[in-house]
Amino acid sequence: MSRRTVWWLVSGTLLASAFVVASMFVSGDRRILPAGAMTDAHHQLEISCETCHGTPDFADTAAAEKALNRSCLGCHEDELKAADDSHPRKTFRNPRMAAYWDRLDARLCTTCHVEHRPEITRVGAVTVAMDFCMACHAEGEQDVRVERPSHAGLTFDSCASSGCHNYHDNRALYEDFLVKHSHGAWLALTPMHALAARARAAGQSGATPLAPGDAVAPASALADPAVLEDWARSGHAAAGINCGACHAPAAGDASPDAVEAHWADTPAMSVCEDCHRTQARTFVRGRHGMRRHPRIAKPRDPHRALRELGLDGVLPETVMVWLEDPAVPERMAAGEARLPMRGDAAHRALDCGTCHMPHAVDVVRAAVEACTYCHDDEHSRAFFDSPHHALWLAERNGLAEPGTGVSCATCHMSKIERRGKIATNHNQNDNLRPNEKMIRTVCLDCHGLAFSLDALADTDLIRRNFSGRPTVHVESIDWAVRRAKAQRQKGGN
Amino acid sequence: MLTFTEEVLLLLGDEEGALLPVDKHAFDCALAGAALLDLAFAYRIDTDLQALVVTDSAPTGMPFLDRILARIASRADTVDAATWIRELSTDDAETVRKQALANLVQRGILERKEEPFLWVFRPVRYPTIDREAVHGIKLRIEEVLSDNIPDPRDVALMSLVDACQILPDLFPDRKLGEAAARIALLRKMDLIGREVAGTIANIQRTIVLAARAEAARFRKLRLILATLGGAAAAVTLLAPRVPLPDSYGPDLLEHLWFDGIWRQWSGYLILGLAVVGLAIAIVIKKRLVTRIARSHRWRLSHFVLGVGCVLVLFAHTGFRVGSDLNAALMGCFLAVLLSGALAEICTGAPSRLRAVGIARPARLRRSLMWLHVMAICPLPALLIVHILTAYRY
Repeated sequence: MSRRTVWWLVSGTLLASAFVVASMFVSGDRRILPAGAMTDAHHQLEISCETCHGTPDFADTAAAEKALNRSCLGCHEDELKAADDSHPRKTFRNPRMAAYWDRLDARLCTTCHVEHRPEITRVGAVTVAMDFCMACHAEGEQDVRVERPSHAGLTFDSCASSGCHNYHDNRALYEDFLVKHSHGAWLALTPMHALAARARAAGQSGATPLAPGDAVAPASALADPAVLEDWARSGHAAAGINCGACHAPAAGDASPDAVEAHWADTPAMSVCEDCHRTQARTFVRGRHGMRRHPRIAKPRDPHRALRELGLDGVLPETVMVWLEDPAVPERMAAGEARLPMRGDAAHRALDCGTCHMPHAVDVVRAAVEACTYCHDDEHSRAFFDSPHHALWLAERNGLAEPGTGVSCATCHMSKIERRGKIATNHNQNDNLRPNEKMIRTVCLDCHGLAFSLDALADTDLIRRNFSGRPTVHVESIDWAVRRAKAQRQKGGN
Repeated sequence: MLTFTEEVLLLLGDEEGALLPVDKHAFDCALAGAALLDLAFAYRIDTDLQALVVTDSAPTGMPFLDRILARIASRADTVDAATWIRELSTDDAETVRKQALANLVQRGILERKEEPFLWVFRPVRYPTIDREAVHGIKLRIEEVLSDNIPDPRDVALMSLVDACQILPDLFPDRKLGEAAARIALLRKMDLIGREVAGTIANIQRTIVLAARAEAARFRKLRLILATLGGAAAAVTLLAPRVPLPDSYGPDLLEHLWFDGIWRQWSGYLILGLAVVGLAIAIVIKKRLVTRIARSHRWRLSHFVLGVGCVLVLFAHTGFRVGSDLNAALMGCFLAVLLSGALAEICTGAPSRLRAVGIARPARLRRSLMWLHVMAICPLPALLIVHILTAYRY
């Protein structure tokens, strides 16, 4: 091989390498670097390494793991507290638990949830084998089979997969709760979502409803009568909220001049957030709005380190783009989702107006049609043939009481009560994984616990959107009741 | 006037300072024979069929010739020229070569050039400056091959050159077949020249046979290793990844493929093997260390390291090709291994390849070697990114 050939080869390689590195420098997009794709839960954050990797460059493993755990807790700590975590970190940080650290170090989230490992990522983003319970509960005083003969023949991979236990959230699965709700019929006598019923019965604010002629806006904005009609029928108009409240919040008063002076055709999401704080707070915790979560995508600040080195302001712009970690785009588009979505909705970016229609502010549409405008999986499509949908139509058409209908939002964006005020939880993931989390917040309003457990354990029934009866039976209630009975008898004797 | 030794060296080197393709033992014998011829033409030794004796032990003024003369004079028994050629070729050829080259540099015929490579190797070349001097020697040999009455000195030189079998290289345009009878006749005219030629021929016969046997043995080993390595690389590329056991417990495979420390060790082991393999290839190709460049064992070690790389690669990845930059790294690495293995198969088993329809194994080998080298080029950059990413994140 001639010298010239070698020269061309080396030059070509260097040029190609430089191109790749430069493209990462300029765009800041380093998604070609990780060893594997991220989990469905976190893939929206893939562009911003610093969201999770918060340590300085080339920190030691212990520091890196600590930083990763801090990142996990930054978003999930409240959720774990609310779930009354069955295996809280503080329990395992006790030195008396040291014997368990080698088996399964429950002090670290990354023991069971490692990112960039698609091959070993299982349900719930778990990256250890699903029989991990045996690490601690197969021997000694923690052996679950000692006091529970019912568990004698069970394998450890069935602990979490059978609908009986979860590692973190067992609010609907603990023994006393099972016994307490063991007698419930499959359907309540008056099935109704109490909070939804209360919210819909609460009516309006008492303000004077506004008509299309009351709209205060620049002439150009009033040109479209359809927009005015939408607004006039909306909850906003009914509550006396005029155009300027959203389009010119800085106007101070509703005078036409002030509104025109501060008018913005497309109000920012922060305008919605000013009034709908609970909704906004919960929205950023779910997949729809997680890119706006306050703990996410803080770009790294290299200037401090550069100042210490005396290099601040010296490095070229492209290098600074690389050093300053890119921020995650504020909104997620439906096309980025990993669930099946409709092709024609791929461009839709998610903010308040995407589901609610900015002027109609239509909560009815947002409860079903807005969901299926994007979601195109079997479960979503089957909703329209389900008994839940029939109930929803009956309520919408005034044929049934408020709160008796079941929409997508009824289950996935359930109502929450905070300081006496009822609001919709916009974190649709709050009760989604594991699905037993939905039992207390939704299912038990209408159904018995045994039926709910069976239904949620029946994947085929879920696919059919609960058209039919469960063919799976979760035995945990039976066992809990038998054990309680046996204990009562033992106590009686 | 130049000595025989110097003339032989001039003829054996090309204009760039590289040696013509002469077997090392033949080359050493030629140098030893040239030194004896120098002594004979300086009337210091005489020889017949049975013995080589010193007739005058006075120094010649050439240190390397005087050293040999002293050695012959100091020997108690008497041996023939062939024995001396064998002994001197083993013990003194290197010294003779160095001193003769130094003389040629001093005379301004050759130039000494050091060409550092990778800051470690400093191979030396002796390009020709005075081409007229070499041309003059060639003319004298051509004169010998014509029908004129030759000079005895030129006859002796021709015998040496013929013994080294470099006449076709020296006179590529001349039909030497027609001059074969005259060459054979002239060779008999000079006793030392004849002895040198005979000895070189004997040594070459022995060496060639042994070398051929050794080469065949090593070629077979290389072929086996190349086939093994190639098959393993192909399996690595095509086989589905080895699944991990889906149960809790100490798991060697999961440690191997997902534990940072284990992967670090296996990764650096591959890197080490690859770097050593590459270094050996460069040393052999560039002839940076003559002993390594000519050793079958070192050549074989390149293939041993290649097979080692594939095995450790399995320990590192478990047939996982990866994604994005990791996939590119894996692809390049496997391309290097596969192309190298296939190129060796083309070298080692051309007849079998022809039998399966590959008409030109040599051409295929050249293409594969191209791929082998080209696939190496991106590896350093990809490796650096791979390692830095692992430590950074």
